Amino acid sequence: MKAIMSLGALIGVAGLLLLSGMIVGIIPSDTVRLIEGYMPVQVIAELILFVAGFTGISYMMSSMGMAFPRFWQGISCWAFVLLYLKFRVYPPIPFSVRAMYGTVSLVAVFMWVSANEEDWQKFKQPIMNVLDAKTGGNRLLRYAYLIILPILIGGFSYNAMVPKSEEPIELRTVHPAPPASTKVHGKTYTLQTSQNPYRVNPEGKYDQEYSNANIVEQGMGRLMKPNANPWDKDAQGYLKYVREGGEIFYQNCHFCHGDNLNGRGLHAFAFNPIPANFTDPGTIAQLQETFIFWRVSKGGIGLPNEGFPWASVMPPWEQHLTVDEIWKVVMFEYWHTGYYPRTWD
Amino acid sequence: MKNSFSLKAGVLSLTAFGVILLSANAGGFAFAADSLPAGFKAGALAPEPSADMIEAGKRVYFTKCVWCHGVDGAGDGPGADRLWPRPRNFNQGTFKIRHTASGELPLFDAKKPVEGQNDLFATVTHGLPGSAMPPWEGILTEEQRLQVLSFVTTQLVKDRKFTDTKSESQTVLQLAELAPIAASEESLKKGAELIVEKKCIECHGVEGRGDGNAFNLKDDWGFSIQPANWHKCWNFRGSRQDPYNVKNIFRTFSTGVNGTPMPSFADNTTVEERWHIANFVNSLCERDVEGKPLPIDPQADKPKINFVVPSGKVEGEISADPENELWTKRARRYIAMGGQITHKPRNFVNRIDDLWVKSLYNETHVVFMFQWDDRTKSVAEGKLPWAPTSVNVEVKEQDPKTGEEGSIAAHQNNYTVYNDAVAMETAIKWKELPAPIKPRYLFGSNEQFPMDIVKWEADGSLRAFKGTGWDKDFEQRFDYEENIKLLFSEWKNGRWTVIIQRPLGDKKEQDYDSDTFFEMGQYIPTVFFAWDGHNGDAGRKMAVSAFYYTFLEPPTPQEAYIYPVAIAAGVVLLEGWILTRRSNKRKTKGLSR
Repeated sequence: MKAIMSLGALIGVAGLLLLSGMIVGIIPSDTVRLIEGYMPVQVIAELILFVAGFTGISYMMSSMGMAFPRFWQGISCWAFVLLYLKFRVYPPIPFSVRAMYGTVSLVAVFMWVSANEEDWQKFKQPIMNVLDAKTGGNRLLRYAYLIILPILIGGFSYNAMVPKSEEPIELRTVHPAPPASTKVHGKTYTLQTSQNPYRVNPEGKYDQEYSNANIVEQGMGRLMKPNANPWDKDAQGYLKYVREGGEIFYQNCHFCHGDNLNGRGLHAFAFNPIPANFTDPGTIAQLQETFIFWRVSKGGIGLPNEGFPWASVMPPWEQHLTVDEIWKVVMFEYWHTGYYPRTWD
Repeated sequence: MKNSFSLKAGVLSLTAFGVILLSANAGGFAFAADSLPAGFKAGALAPEPSADMIEAGKRVYFTKCVWCHGVDGAGDGPGADRLWPRPRNFNQGTFKIRHTASGELPLFDAKKPVEGQNDLFATVTHGLPGSAMPPWEGILTEEQRLQVLSFVTTQLVKDRKFTDTKSESQTVLQLAELAPIAASEESLKKGAELIVEKKCIECHGVEGRGDGNAFNLKDDWGFSIQPANWHKCWNFRGSRQDPYNVKNIFRTFSTGVNGTPMPSFADNTTVEERWHIANFVNSLCERDVEGKPLPIDPQADKPKINFVVPSGKVEGEISADPENELWTKRARRYIAMGGQITHKPRNFVNRIDDLWVKSLYNETHVVFMFQWDDRTKSVAEGKLPWAPTSVNVEVKEQDPKTGEEGSIAAHQNNYTVYNDAVAMETAIKWKELPAPIKPRYLFGSNEQFPMDIVKWEADGSLRAFKGTGWDKDFEQRFDYEENIKLLFSEWKNGRWTVIIQRPLGDKKEQDYDSDTFFEMGQYIPTVFFAWDGHNGDAGRKMAVSAFYYTFLEPPTPQEAYIYPVAIAAGVVLLEGWILTRRSNKRKTKGLSR
């Protein structure tokens, strides 16, 4: 038991030192980096480690006879969660969301310290002591609170009232409802029945099974299947068209959507909202191929009235590309991300 | 023998005597190992990667890299023709970011993914900021990055061999052992003298904005290339997520950048001199009003963006002098700029990637100061073959392949020169837009809800336009031009400063249907445009920003001084109540016992 607890304490101390060092800037702030794609799991894992660490520290201290009062345990645990959310998590969470998490963790801390009557008494004790002010120290503390609290609260309300400029929040609908059909270069395409004319096997027949078998492998890196190289000189059908789609992508789309289709292109940093990330399972993986065809052809300006963001600068690509080119580039996006387009049934 | 010497040197350099001893030691290195430049040590070539690694790397290459670097690694993939700087041609084994001496191959060992000891691995991991090469960390695993490099170094580097001890050597900059010299005033002063003495300013310009001999420089493949702008350290290759680190500058300066006109200065500078130069160059990088490094967005690897451009209230006239205290004390905003690639003519290679904007207003006018770096002052030489206001012009885009006439690479520094220019676009009546119509702030929503555009050009003109829709030509507003005023414009050492004044706009006095009403305390949608005349920018071939908000800061209201005091008094009363209640309770308890 003791061994486990001391290990926990060690983890806790090391973690705290590392984290505070990284935040203050003594240790390079990228020592332990949040890795894109794994971030939520990583954050939860880190928090679990810290809780284990705190348990260890608290156990060790009480076994060494320096028990940490329950009151301060509760307060510091809550403060830690708040600071962690503010300084560790990136991209930064807006204050309103942090306030929500803060409230939830406050409730959790309260449930923990008031789990039984004895604990609750222990937790309450320091507050009551200050109110009663039986010792000199507590009396001093009481006067300090009497003066500091009004000043703090007055200061906060002043801060809240001084005019400030904060970025207005913009909404974004991820997947607006598509129209029944769309007209591109003079031809009408019914979204439910249209097919990508280039999703064909080497014999030239529409073959979704064949194309799905030749997309890149899911998993780290998303690499192509060993025997399905679109750059193979002999590649026919689907793979050949994937390469042609890629050529169009890397001449037109990667500036915003990025070399890895993750929305981090060369010009992406300048734009708001940031370009769509196709590797995210919430974008093209959720949609039908004809939906993408419609979005690419019509761009941000072609979003239906209820669709946001209004600020999209995605051009209607029908102004720059032919229908064939659009179909090929859509197919390339599915190939490169390793997702299957959804079907209508 | 050598080992013990370096050990001693390492220990010595750690001592408090640092500076002097270190430079003496570094000098000693050069003597001890004969012709090695100061700060370098001989290294060994790494063993050849295994056949398995190479084969696995081929798969990575043809999934991820081939699109820009090409089937044979000649930097001629489908993406290459619209990129500048162009993707690397691997065939010659010329690589930019190295710890090895000028002309040598970079460090690469397929079994050693160690920071600082594996240059190619670092380049793939972190990408090359300021170019189209993205960081592959988090996308490819460490193993996959080593695999693809194994493939590139053995199969695509064709003119040299990483394992050939007869023709290749490795002389490695001992960056980890060389402690930086503090950036004291004295060091910066020495650095400022050295960049003149070592002729850095010939290419990089007097103030380091890359505006020196920016025009005739070519890389090893004959493509035009521009000297780095020292004021944008986040665009330095090899600087990812740590742009204000002098070590990156020290390394580049010591090893040179292979394939470019940037030489290594290792042979004619001491280590100490190099630190002074690195410190000085680093000190030029943009900082905030207090002189602190700008916060860098770890995902974009550029300064963090705030989309609100605050305008400060001024009593009386607003100065036309950028050195006036009103302007110098005013905080500025970083405006990120991307290429306009939605309408023809498209701008795939935008040379202006940011603007700095400050704003002030008084009772009648609002004034904007724009500052941006542009290596060349461009005043139109040729006449634009189409109307500059028109959109979707049928121009031949840069479709030809590199090497053919009309390609982007052939065009660089070879365009017909048009005017440098800057413009801002603000929304009109945006608050009145009825719900089903969506605001289209880029180029205007429609006839009823247009955009108000004010554009300055380097020939001294200041014009007003109206934008009425996504695919509509701008309409010039001749009648409005008397209301706007150019207060200041100057190009100096690679930087434009332009100050433009315009009316606040008011329903009564101005034509509110076609001007923006700059209402205090409101978020006024604003877009910025910029043109680099030497890049052939004209009309819609320009750099654009995202959608920002101009915000006229309102003065602090009276209530802000009254309510907080009242609230504080309330808290005091509450405290008194709690205390009395507690003591009463205790008393009654005491009595009942």
